[in-house]
Amino acid sequence: MAYSEKVVDHFNNPRNMGSFKKEEDGVGTGIVGAPECGDVMKLQIKVENDTIVDAKFKTFGCGSAIASSSLATEWLKGKTVEEAGKIKNTDIVQELNLPPVKIHCSVLAEDAIKAALADYQKKADSK
Amino acid sequence: MSGHTHNADDRRELQMARSMCWHCQSEMAGEYFCDRCVKVQPVSKDLDYFTCFGLPRRLALDPQALEAKFYELSRAFHPDFYQNKSDAEQTISLDNSAMLNTAYRTLRDPIQRAEYLLDLEAGSVKDIRTTPPADLFEEILELQDTLDEFRTSDRASENAAVLRTKLDADRATLEQRQRDMEAELQQLFSRWDALQDRGEATEPARAERGRILKDMRDILSNRTYVKNIVNDLLATIA
Repeated sequence: MAYSEKVVDHFNNPRNMGSFKKEEDGVGTGIVGAPECGDVMKLQIKVENDTIVDAKFKTFGCGSAIASSSLATEWLKGKTVEEAGKIKNTDIVQELNLPPVKIHCSVLAEDAIKAALADYQKKADSK
Repeated sequence: MSGHTHNADDRRELQMARSMCWHCQSEMAGEYFCDRCVKVQPVSKDLDYFTCFGLPRRLALDPQALEAKFYELSRAFHPDFYQNKSDAEQTISLDNSAMLNTAYRTLRDPIQRAEYLLDLEAGSVKDIRTTPPADLFEEILELQDTLDEFRTSDRASENAAVLRTKLDADRATLEQRQRDMEAELQQLFSRWDALQDRGEATEPARAERGRILKDMRDILSNRTYVKNIVNDLLATIA
């Protein structure tokens, strides 16, 4: 199976790789994984005035998992928290041309976005 | 034999496994050999491994009883004893022996036994996604970070020594987690067996079965995950 050009591009030039300090104000962290394939993904957002001003990821996994999370961080930047919640794994599948066997990578990315948003919300609520 | 008694379900399965002799067409009453013409009978593909060994579908089983039955059937099916028999009998002997070996290997190992049972009972758990604990992923992510750093470090350096100490501690933590999961599995096995022994067909009993199976699947999948990571870790620091 060959990776699509977009996957290869994200894999070779990952966008927004890295991390924020978890404790930092306005930072939401989502860590998810799939025991079946051993992938683990961390996705973080930095929110100011309800808008995601920055996003970072760190993924240990296959090319598609890395590309999915890289793409997700690109999409997240500039979106409001509400808009971010609407990103679907199918959007990622379409953009990256993921084959059926790699759809779970996009699901993982969606889960990571949801987890990061939930973490941000939890931190915001507890203030 | 194990201390379990066969319940009605198990008996029905055993009866259903019986059919007609492929050779003389008489009704089969024997286990793997026709009573009338004494020909070896093919083990049905639908026969589950537990039934094949005459064991109830339980997760606790007596390894000695399993082994004794395995030797008994191995002798009965062994291709060496069929060299002068018809082609049909030789084929049956080969197929039965292969099936028997797989069945024995599967049932002998408690983890494989549980995974096999989950497959048999899959109907009730198939579409449930496993839900691994979030803290496990945090641990794994940190570990992967350290592994990455270690891989690119100069092995003779001070930093590599520090990382190695950290990795050793991580390994100990993960191995403890593995032991905890195995203890948890053991408890689920007992609960499953007890539930099967009671043989209730009520809605709460069915729901409980589903829960136990799901929990087992979760732990088995996380256990494999942790095991792979530990192997990866060991290979890196070796």
